[in-house]
Amino acid sequence: MELYLICEDSLEGIFSGVYAAYAVKRPHQEIHLLVGEEENLRLFAEYQEVPADKDKAAKVARTINREFGTEGYLALCRALASADAEKGEAIYKMIVKGLSMKDPRQVMGNLPDPHVMKVFELARYSANEAHFLVEFLRFRELENKILYAKIGPKNNIITFIMPHFADRLPLENFIIHDEKRDIFALHPSRKDWYVVTGENAALPEALAQGFSEDEKKYSELFTHFFHTIAIKDRKNLALQRNMLPLRYREYMTEFL
Amino acid sequence: MEIRISDNVSIMDKLGILSDAAKYDVSCSSSGVERKGDGTGIGNAAAGGICHSFSSDGRCISLLKILFTNECIYDCKYCINRKSNDVPRASFTPDEICALTIEFYRRNYIEGLFLSSGILYHPDYTMELIYLAIYKLRTEYRFQGYVHVKAIPGTDPLIIQKLGLIVDRMSVNLELPTAQGLSELAPNKHRKNILAPMRQIQQGIQHSKNDMVVYKKAPSFVPGGQSTQMIIGATPESDYQIMTVAENLYQKFDLKRVYYSAYININEDKSLPALPGGPPLLREHRLYQADWLLRFYGFRSNELLSDEKPNFNILLDPKADWALRHLEQFPVEINRADYHSILRVPGIGVKSAQRIVRARQNGLLGFADLKKIGVVLKRALYFITCSGKMMYNTKIEEDYITRNLLTVKEKLPFDRDGITYKQLSLFDDMNFDPGDRLTGQLFDGPSVILGQI
Repeated sequence: MELYLICEDSLEGIFSGVYAAYAVKRPHQEIHLLVGEEENLRLFAEYQEVPADKDKAAKVARTINREFGTEGYLALCRALASADAEKGEAIYKMIVKGLSMKDPRQVMGNLPDPHVMKVFELARYSANEAHFLVEFLRFRELENKILYAKIGPKNNIITFIMPHFADRLPLENFIIHDEKRDIFALHPSRKDWYVVTGENAALPEALAQGFSEDEKKYSELFTHFFHTIAIKDRKNLALQRNMLPLRYREYMTEFL
Repeated sequence: MEIRISDNVSIMDKLGILSDAAKYDVSCSSSGVERKGDGTGIGNAAAGGICHSFSSDGRCISLLKILFTNECIYDCKYCINRKSNDVPRASFTPDEICALTIEFYRRNYIEGLFLSSGILYHPDYTMELIYLAIYKLRTEYRFQGYVHVKAIPGTDPLIIQKLGLIVDRMSVNLELPTAQGLSELAPNKHRKNILAPMRQIQQGIQHSKNDMVVYKKAPSFVPGGQSTQMIIGATPESDYQIMTVAENLYQKFDLKRVYYSAYININEDKSLPALPGGPPLLREHRLYQADWLLRFYGFRSNELLSDEKPNFNILLDPKADWALRHLEQFPVEINRADYHSILRVPGIGVKSAQRIVRARQNGLLGFADLKKIGVVLKRALYFITCSGKMMYNTKIEEDYITRNLLTVKEKLPFDRDGITYKQLSLFDDMNFDPGDRLTGQLFDGPSVILGQI
């Protein structure tokens, strides 16, 4: 009988799932990892919920880091941020495959394996979206000089982009808000950044104020620049759409 | 010439005028420097470069691309800012440039500053103003982001030396591929004056690298390297001449990038060509494809073109064209061939080739694996075998493959908006030009470039 392990959608949850899958000591092809609720229950399958466990997850993380090296670990973390429903299964089976290889550090090169390929694709998708947001995210200045940016990414990548902005704007107070997941990432001037989830009610109040005078001036200046810099003899909206997908534009100053 | 500096222009109008005047500069990249912020100011730099927006022509907006002033004492025929043009003129002050850069940068609109300029009074005078602005930006505003500055030919080497220590990239525009074209269209500019600062920057970069080996904290001179650009289609050079010039610039001047800019008819002038079909975008595209082949695929310009065949095929990209003329080197066995042979297969790019070399360590690769890896099989299938087998029963024969490659429509970056689309006809090809202008009498290539230094 097939065994389906249901785990929480987080790094801890999925790694705990992997730990549990190894702990049951059955052939790996009979075990599957599910993230969140399964919509269609199978008739001849056993379902089992796995609670997230910090210590077990840490053990798995340590093993992955040791065996696969930074490249494999990073790819896994990126795949974990993905919104794909099958990521749990892909990550679990990729770990199994990697550990069975002669040199587990080469696991990400083993693209003919379908699970490694899947993790590779998910990781690439998350990394690409994170890069898009590094490019296209727009801060707007509030009256109290705090910079505020709203994003709506498909994958949960806010923690991947924060280090970039924290290094770039060390003296600024800024907030990045993932409105799809209600996550706020905050960076106080000269301090480390941290993440708060939406239940913290104090935040929206701090954001309640309007945008500053300067904000209007500079957003108009940039929009003007954006239009004058285009060469009309070379107009090419299809190319623009390829490079800058429409779904990012609803958050971008020059397209508002 | 009377210089009109209008101080009462609003910042909005200035930005409009001076970005409008700067837009024909092609260089947009913010790459080549990896620098973390030091925590005391604003900004860092990413080695891969970051584009922040794309304008309606599909070009990236990475840097705040502006002129310091569009006043100019020169009269280059192709340039919108030439002194004989009656266009609104404006100049920024160093403070305005700094404020715009910082405020745009903190909102994540831009990756840094691209500062070029028309020539006000004298090259030295203008470059000193630019130096002042950048110095202020770096010290007073503590800006650590990317700065790209155009060096004006004829500037005192001392100013270039000082400027090079506070910017990331410098570029000197070659303007036109040959010295003859330059003297026809830009009577005030001389090839020698353009190549001299290029050589100076190249040597500066080399010195700075050598110094850094000795002591780590040595000041870095133009760490992002230098680039240049040339206008394509304003003068009658062949693609082969252009590629040879580019190759020489890469080899002899260590340039990071050579940009090609399809000539756009801005000024009416009897010495400029009329372009009823719009700018030569397909030709520009082919040149960029070939440029990539030179820089990342290990090709040499004389492999792609020759005196007998001085222009690129309009129907096929340069790599497929080369492969068809060298069928004796194919098919390539994916599971055995070395990286460089795989890289030369049409439909396989740098990333795919790297993935293939890595993935085949774990076992034999089949065509299904190649597809997943990202190889464009509909182009590559005529040139490769997997474990000794072709994908289909195809012939290695020039006419046959050409016919099949042509039925697969090449994806061009322009052709859907109607602006540049036109039915291809045989007569678009420069090889069919009735005139005898391509026989190479203009050819100046390496001897002239180097001879003038």
